[in-house]
Amino acid sequence: METVFSQYAWLVPVFPLAAFLILTAFGRGMKQSGPLVATLASFAALVLSALILFEHMNGADEYNDSFTWIGIGGFELTAGFDVTNLTALMLIVVSLVAFLVNVYSIGYMKDDERITVFFGYVALFTFSMLGLVLADNLLTLYIFWELVGVCSFLLIGFWYQKPEAKAAAKKAFIVTRVGDVGLLIALLLLFWYMPDHDLSFSAIENVFGQSGLITEGITTLIAILIFVGAVGKSGQFPLHVWLPDAMEGPTPISALIHAATMVAAGVFLVARTFPIFEASQAALDTVAYVGAFTAIFAASIAIAQNDIKRILAYSTVSQLGYMMMAIGLGSVTAGMFHLFTHAFFKALLFLGAGSVIHAVHTQNIHEMGGLGKTMKTIAWTFAIGALALAGIPPLSGFWSKDAILAEALHANPALFAVGIAAALLTALYMSRLFFLVFAGKPKAGGEAHESPAVMTMPLIVLAVLAIFAGFVEMPFAGTGWLGEWLTGHAAEHEGTALVMLVSTAVGLLGIYLGWLIYVKGAIPRDVVTSRAPWLTRLLERKYYIDEIYHAVFTVSLRAIGRALDAFDRHVVGGAVRLAGGAAVWTGRAATRMQSGQVQSYGLYVVIGLVILVAAIAGRRFW
Amino acid sequence: MLSSYLTMAAILFCIGLYGALSKRNAVIVLMSVELMLNAVNLNLVAFSKYGVVPSLDGQIFSLFTISVAAAEVAVGVAILIALFRRRGTANVDEFNEMRR
Amino acid sequence: MGGFYIDWSGELVAFFAFAVVMIVGAVLMLTLTKVVHMVVSLAAVFLGLGGMFVVLEAEFVAFVQVLIYSGAVTILLLFGIMMTDHQAAQHEPTRPVHEIVSAVAAIVLFGILFYAIRTTEFAPSAPPLQAGVDNAMEIGKQLYTQHVIPFELVSVLLTVAFIGAIVIAKKEAE
Repeated sequence: METVFSQYAWLVPVFPLAAFLILTAFGRGMKQSGPLVATLASFAALVLSALILFEHMNGADEYNDSFTWIGIGGFELTAGFDVTNLTALMLIVVSLVAFLVNVYSIGYMKDDERITVFFGYVALFTFSMLGLVLADNLLTLYIFWELVGVCSFLLIGFWYQKPEAKAAAKKAFIVTRVGDVGLLIALLLLFWYMPDHDLSFSAIENVFGQSGLITEGITTLIAILIFVGAVGKSGQFPLHVWLPDAMEGPTPISALIHAATMVAAGVFLVARTFPIFEASQAALDTVAYVGAFTAIFAASIAIAQNDIKRILAYSTVSQLGYMMMAIGLGSVTAGMFHLFTHAFFKALLFLGAGSVIHAVHTQNIHEMGGLGKTMKTIAWTFAIGALALAGIPPLSGFWSKDAILAEALHANPALFAVGIAAALLTALYMSRLFFLVFAGKPKAGGEAHESPAVMTMPLIVLAVLAIFAGFVEMPFAGTGWLGEWLTGHAAEHEGTALVMLVSTAVGLLGIYLGWLIYVKGAIPRDVVTSRAPWLTRLLERKYYIDEIYHAVFTVSLRAIGRALDAFDRHVVGGAVRLAGGAAVWTGRAATRMQSGQVQSYGLYVVIGLVILVAAIAGRRFW
Repeated sequence: MLSSYLTMAAILFCIGLYGALSKRNAVIVLMSVELMLNAVNLNLVAFSKYGVVPSLDGQIFSLFTISVAAAEVAVGVAILIALFRRRGTANVDEFNEMRR
Repeated sequence: MGGFYIDWSGELVAFFAFAVVMIVGAVLMLTLTKVVHMVVSLAAVFLGLGGMFVVLEAEFVAFVQVLIYSGAVTILLLFGIMMTDHQAAQHEPTRPVHEIVSAVAAIVLFGILFYAIRTTEFAPSAPPLQAGVDNAMEIGKQLYTQHVIPFELVSVLLTVAFIGAIVIAKKEAE
C-alpha cells in the first residue's frame, strides 16, 4: 500500500531539533514562551508519529529512504531512515512520552533559572532518540546512540552546582562509554565482514538470515559485542551502576530518559539486530541469562532502598532485565511488548514521584506518609502504575509480563523460576513504596498539596494508557495482534493459563505481604533487619558493587595514571632536562677556555699543532 | 752529523716553548722566546753547511733573524715597562682583557 | 748518525761540549728562582750557541751572535727586569694543570720533531760547504749584491724599532 506520511518520517526528529536551536539561540529572553515552543514541537512530532503509526497499522509497506553521506571512490556510506512496524511503534512511544514529559515540566521546572536550557536539552534528546529509532543502518544508529548519551550527561548534570549531580553525570557517561566500546568494535567487525561493507539493517537481515555466510564464531562475537553496548545503555549487570546515580537529575528526565526511552534503546538495538542473535544460540543464551540475573538482582536491591527515586531506578533496571530475557529466549514480540507497556507505567510512576517530591521536598520514603489523603489524583494514578508494574490483571503490565513468563516456561523453566521470584520481589517493593508513602499517618509537615493541573494531566493520560495498552497482545487465540504485526508471524502461546494463574498469585502475594508489614503491622518491619542485619546492609549497599568497582578500577587506574605521570615528569622530562643541561654544561666548560690568558691560548695552539702534525704524519701507518 | 744539530735545535726549541707557555713573569717569557729564536738560527746555519743544497744563504738568513730578534726584544721590553708603569705588575696572568 | 758506531772527530767533541753547556743553561734558566740568575744562564746559552756556530764554520754569524745576543739582548733583558720586577722569588699561586699540560705538549712536540729528523733522508747533493778562509768577506759579497734589499729593509726596521721603543717606554708628560 502506498505510504503518504512515511516519506515525511524524517520530519519527526526535525521538529524537536528546531525547538532546540531556537531555544539555544534565543533562550535568555524566552522564559515564558520557551517551554511552550518546545512542547509545541514535541506535539507536532507526536502528531506525525501517530499518523505514521495509523498508516502502518493499516498495512502500509516498509519505507526506506537514504542518501549518500560519504562517497570515496567506489565506496559509499549512506545515511537514511527506515519506517517499519517496529520503528513506527517506537516512534509513537518516544514522542508520546516526550510530549507528556514536556507538559509536566512546564509545571515542575517553573521556578528554575535555566528552564529554557532544560527544555532545549530535552528537545535535543528527543531529536537524538527519534533519530536513533529511525536510523536505517548501524552507523547512523551509533551516531545517534552517542548523541543520546551526551544529552543524558547534560541532563543528569543539569543542576551542576551539586557535586553529586556532576559526579553522577560523569559516571553515567563513562559507564555507558564502556558499553559503547563494545558496540563500536561490533560495528567495525560488521563493516569488515558484511559484503559491500553494507551496515544497513535490511542487509544484516539478509546476510545473517542465511546460514553459513558468516562463521558461527564471528556471529557470536558480533552479537555479544552489540549486547555489551546494550548492557551499558540499558543498565544491565554489570554496567548498571550509573542508573541509580542518574536520579540526581530532575525527575521529568528520569521519567523520559531513564525509564521510557534511552534505556529502552538497548532493548531496541537488540531487537533491530535480532537476525544476528538468531544465528547464534550462544549469544541468545547470554542475553537471556544476563537479563534474568539483572531482573532478580536489581529487584533484591530495590527492597532495601529508602529513596523513592532509587527504588524506581532499580525497578527500571529489573524490568529491562525482563525485556532482555524475553529477547534472549527468542521472542522479540514479548520484549518489545513489555518495553511498550513499561514505558507508560514507569513514566507514570516517575512523574508521580516527582509530584510527591515537589510537594514534600524530600526523597526519603520514611519521611513521608499518609499522602494519600491530601493528594488524591496522584495517589490513584500512582496506584494504577504500581499495580501495572506488579503485574495485576487486567492492567497492561500483566499481559506483557505474562508473555515473557510464558516464553520462559516454554523455553527454559529455570529462567521461569527466576522470573517468578523477581515478580514476587517487584510486587513486594512496590507495595512497600506505596504504603509507606501514601498510607498511614501523615508525617511530613502536613503541607502536602495537590499538584497543578499541568502536572496531573500527563499522569492521568499515562494511567489510562497503563490500563488499556496491554490489550494489543493477549494470549487468547485471535487476539495476539502485536506479535503478528511486529514480526510477521503470530506468537505461539503454550501453557499460558498456568502462567497467568501463577503470576497473578505471586503478585497478589507480594502486595499482601507488603500490606501485612507496612499497614497492618502483623509482621514487624524489622523481621529481617533484626535477624540478619548483614543481609539488609548488603542489599542496601547494592551488594557493594560500587565499592568493588572503585577498588578494582578507579584506584588502580588512578595509580597507573600517577605512575605514568611520574614517569613522564621524571624520565621523559628528565631526559629533556638532561639534554638541555648537557648543552649548558658544555657551554660553561667552553667558557672557561676563554680566560683571557695568552699563555692558555698559546697552549691550545701548541696542542692543536701537535694533534694536526700527528694526524698528518701518522697517516702512513693506517 | 746534520741530524744531531737538528736534534739539538729541537731540544732548545721545546725548552723555550715550555718556558713561554708556563712562566708567569713577562720578562722570562721574553727570554724563552729568545731561546726559541736561537734554536731556529742553529737550524738555519746547520742547513747552510750540511743541507741538501749547501750555500751561504742560511747564514745570511740567520743574520737577519738575529737583527729582527734584537729589535723585537727592544720593543718588547719597552712595552713591558709601559705596562708595568700602568698596572704595577709584570705577571702575565693579570693581563686578561681578552677574556670572553 | 745511525746505530751506535760513533765516528769520533774533533767536530763531534766540540759539538758535545757546547751542547752540554747550552742544555744545562736552558734548563737552569727555567728552574732557577731569582730572575737575574736566569738571565745569566741565558747568556751562557747564547755563548754556547756562538761556539757551535764556530764549529759549523760560520764565524761571522758566531761573532754577531755573541755581540748582539749575549751582549745587547742580555743587557736589555736585565734592564727590563730592573725596571719591572725586583721581587726575585715567585710566590704567586701555581697552576699545576697548565704547567703539566704544557710540559707534556712540549715533550710530544719534541717527540714528533725527533721522529721527523730520524726518518728523513738528507742526501746532500753536494759536499758540505767549504766556507773558505774569509767567511766575513763572502757574506759581505752576498749581502751587498744578492740580498741588498732585505739589508736595507732591516736597517729601516731597526730604526723604526728603536724609535718605537723610546716612544712606548717614555714617561708620560705630567
